[in-house]
Amino acid sequence: MESITGLLTKIFGDGMSPMALLISGGLTMALIMSLVMAMCAIVFTWMERKVAGFLQSRYGPMRVGGFHGVLQPVADMLKILGKEDIIPDEADKALFMLSPFVIFIGSLMAWAAIPFAPGFIASNLDLGLFYIFAVSSAAPAGILMAGWASNNKWALYGAARGAAQMVSYEIPLALAAIPVVMATGSLNMNAIVDAQGGGVLNWYIVHDPFLFLAFCLYFIASIAEVNRGPFDMPETESELVAGYHTEYTGMRFAFFFLAEYANLFLVSCIATAVFLGGWHPIAGPVFLPGLVFLIKAVILVFLQMLVRWTLPRLRVDQLMHTCWKVMVPLTLLCVLGSGIWMMVSGELL
Amino acid sequence: MEPNAIHDLLCAKLGEAALEYVDSYEKGTVIAAAKIAEAATLLRDEPELHFEQLMCLSGVDWDGHDAEGKGKSVAILGYTEEGKPELSDRVGDGDLGVFYACYSHRHGHKYSLFVRVPRDAAEVPTVSHLWPTAAWHEREAYDLVGITFTGHPDLRRILLEDGWEGHPLRKDYQMPAQWQGVPLEGRSYAANPFNEADVVLPTKPEGGQG
Amino acid sequence: MSDTTVTHGWEHQDKPRVQQSELLEINMGPQHPATHGVLRLLVKTDGEIVQSVTPYLGYLHRCAEKIAEGCDWRQWMVYTDRFDYLAPMNMNFGYAVAVENMLEVEVPERAQYIRVICAELQRIASHLIAIGTFGLDMGAWTPLLYCFREREEILNIFERLSGGRMLYNYFDIGGVRFDAYDDFAEEVLFMVHVMEQKIVEYNTLLTYNKIFIERTADVGVIDAETCYAYGCTGPVLRGAGVPFDCRRDDPYSIYDRFEFEIPYGQGEQGTVGDCWDRYIVRMREMSESCRIIRQAVDGMPEGDFMSPDLKKLVKVPAGSLYTRTESSKGEIGFHIIADGGSKPFRNKVRSPSYSNLHVIEKVGPGMMISDLVATVGSLDIVLGEIDR
Repeated sequence: MESITGLLTKIFGDGMSPMALLISGGLTMALIMSLVMAMCAIVFTWMERKVAGFLQSRYGPMRVGGFHGVLQPVADMLKILGKEDIIPDEADKALFMLSPFVIFIGSLMAWAAIPFAPGFIASNLDLGLFYIFAVSSAAPAGILMAGWASNNKWALYGAARGAAQMVSYEIPLALAAIPVVMATGSLNMNAIVDAQGGGVLNWYIVHDPFLFLAFCLYFIASIAEVNRGPFDMPETESELVAGYHTEYTGMRFAFFFLAEYANLFLVSCIATAVFLGGWHPIAGPVFLPGLVFLIKAVILVFLQMLVRWTLPRLRVDQLMHTCWKVMVPLTLLCVLGSGIWMMVSGELL
Repeated sequence: MEPNAIHDLLCAKLGEAALEYVDSYEKGTVIAAAKIAEAATLLRDEPELHFEQLMCLSGVDWDGHDAEGKGKSVAILGYTEEGKPELSDRVGDGDLGVFYACYSHRHGHKYSLFVRVPRDAAEVPTVSHLWPTAAWHEREAYDLVGITFTGHPDLRRILLEDGWEGHPLRKDYQMPAQWQGVPLEGRSYAANPFNEADVVLPTKPEGGQG
Repeated sequence: MSDTTVTHGWEHQDKPRVQQSELLEINMGPQHPATHGVLRLLVKTDGEIVQSVTPYLGYLHRCAEKIAEGCDWRQWMVYTDRFDYLAPMNMNFGYAVAVENMLEVEVPERAQYIRVICAELQRIASHLIAIGTFGLDMGAWTPLLYCFREREEILNIFERLSGGRMLYNYFDIGGVRFDAYDDFAEEVLFMVHVMEQKIVEYNTLLTYNKIFIERTADVGVIDAETCYAYGCTGPVLRGAGVPFDCRRDDPYSIYDRFEFEIPYGQGEQGTVGDCWDRYIVRMREMSESCRIIRQAVDGMPEGDFMSPDLKKLVKVPAGSLYTRTESSKGEIGFHIIADGGSKPFRNKVRSPSYSNLHVIEKVGPGMMISDLVATVGSLDIVLGEIDR
């Protein structure tokens, strides 16, 4: 946020009070983040359809916008804006209307601590990583609200499955990031990225074998955390129709959609910052830090898409089995292993 | 086993209930309706028969299956231009029947059973406890032909809506004029399409896009 | 919600603390992505566990058997197309064989070979849909599209042959409606060549995928006894470890001239008769169909494609006959009663999916909702054929 406040000071001079500066800076940052989220949905829906098309030996969207259907997401967005907003008669109306925004806001808040470039972070919190994991826990609440309020049995199943899944997978997700915190000695996102400067060998993914394992576990858990195949339990379109958002239409559905893609990008951004050196390029000095960061994150998103369109879905009990009996012990092993590694190599004092 | 040997065995075990041997395309035995479950048990459980699979069970309305009923066995001959049914003056009075086709995986032989029941007392004991697959086939026969299977655990309509009137595969069935407020109208069709005068060929719409 | 209650077996404790939970009644269908058509399954569940499954049929009932009373023998062929709309050639074949058996008419050699080639191509096309949608039930989208890609090629052949891409009405009583086109044999052989390679691709993508095996092995086990009792046939019966196939064990047409294996479930990944076994039976049947097609193309003679001594208006002698043939879903039987006239007296269709679906009432209770979806998918039902 420093860069934003600095910019504002340049524009308006020193006449602004610190409070006004803080508020206007914050609002600007929130606006940027909302735009980033909206862009996520637009870019990644197009990308998802092209990746799916590529994998399935077809083209995907080709008409709207001339080149390879680049404007298809815009057309979709316009269409979804024009859709009728249906609230079922028997639904719990207040919860029904609220839940898309709960999920959306949970996702939006997490963006505040993502360091895109040096100084370009909405809030440079000392507990940044902890904060991200904490606020992203709002999503299960939103999913439960949506499923319950819809008064639809499929939605209820989707919500129950989704909440169970997300609550469970948060644990390996957070545990997988702990070795990094141990290595850095800080929860501050900027500090974590700064510690990985100076070439690919300083990135935490190659710091030690346990951290590499931790990255793999993080990647798997993150797919589950954002409810995408092969872990798309809350939706499971071939079993639960559309899961927790069966009854949603129009803009409310769009918010779920937006949040899904924003979350997809969010977990990739976290992985980039925590394991893949953030804005630091593979070698050489820092150059176009924002772009480097984005490229890394988009590659991770692409990998998630490849996984989604390749693998079948797990069953709900197999999903839980994977989480509690495989991933949680393995992440604990990572914490222990990289701790010993660091102690032996003398990093931990 | 050869079909006539199976028939002899059935006669020996069932006595009077095995009515006659059918020797046309299909080889089988006509069984008295009340004894069908016993006959089926025999077919399934007798070691040298061992018909563990019921291939088919069909209900039949035999009304009109004779020289005089030929050609007008269907009560509704067709529909008029207005969609009103064109009825024949024939009253359905023939028997109803059930046909069972069995197959033995162990011995690789087939055999059929036939049952005929009078139209006004169309009751046949169920065989669904012997071959569970019969449960649905019997429901279908009940639904479409109107044969009641006594002892059936769950005799409901299966293909048609609950509460539908009549049994469509009876030869004297008439479609109701409406169903839950929706008028049901037939389309007139040529009685014999090989009579060229009756065949209405589709024509190009005049002045349209053609 | 129903009144039925479930006790959790805590009754033996000192203080009776009987936990009772209501069963959730949930309608899977008639509009549901996993029921492969307009089927309604009334499922009673206790959490994720299914307590009972009751199928409700008839949403696609078109009174085909009643319509038969008003058609002549040839005209009804059109309606057989619409039973199993994913394998109309097999349905045509069954009805044609059934009527020909009663007419005792000699079908020309060339027509016989064309029929076998068409039926086996159709079996491949239908199995492609079966495994594709089965994968889709597991959440694997991509194999479905690959399967459709190969199916299109088969449909192209059928289109050149009959003019239709979905409903062909190609077989006729006494032969086939049109002769095979000039490069039919080459196109078919090329298709078979492609298909044999693609099967390897499907195996890599789906068959031996760890998650797929986890989802299908030991799931929805239907043993041979249950199959006999519920009249299950086709891949369901063969998946249960019974190598029974009408083409070999009750031969019709010219199937006794070809050499082919009957694949059957051996419990390679789990129990005999689980979903994976049914799946792999279909997969291997496609290879066997390719073998049959190769032999049939080699042996195809020149000559008539339609029996010359058959009149336009067929009159079937009075009598009753049940004829079964092997469609892609199982045993399709036509029970035909003729009164000697030009119209069928009663045509009863014994459709394979009808019996195959029935078994879900037996095996459904006790499994999870996801497994129910997998099991229904592995039965490969087509509602057009169930409801007729």
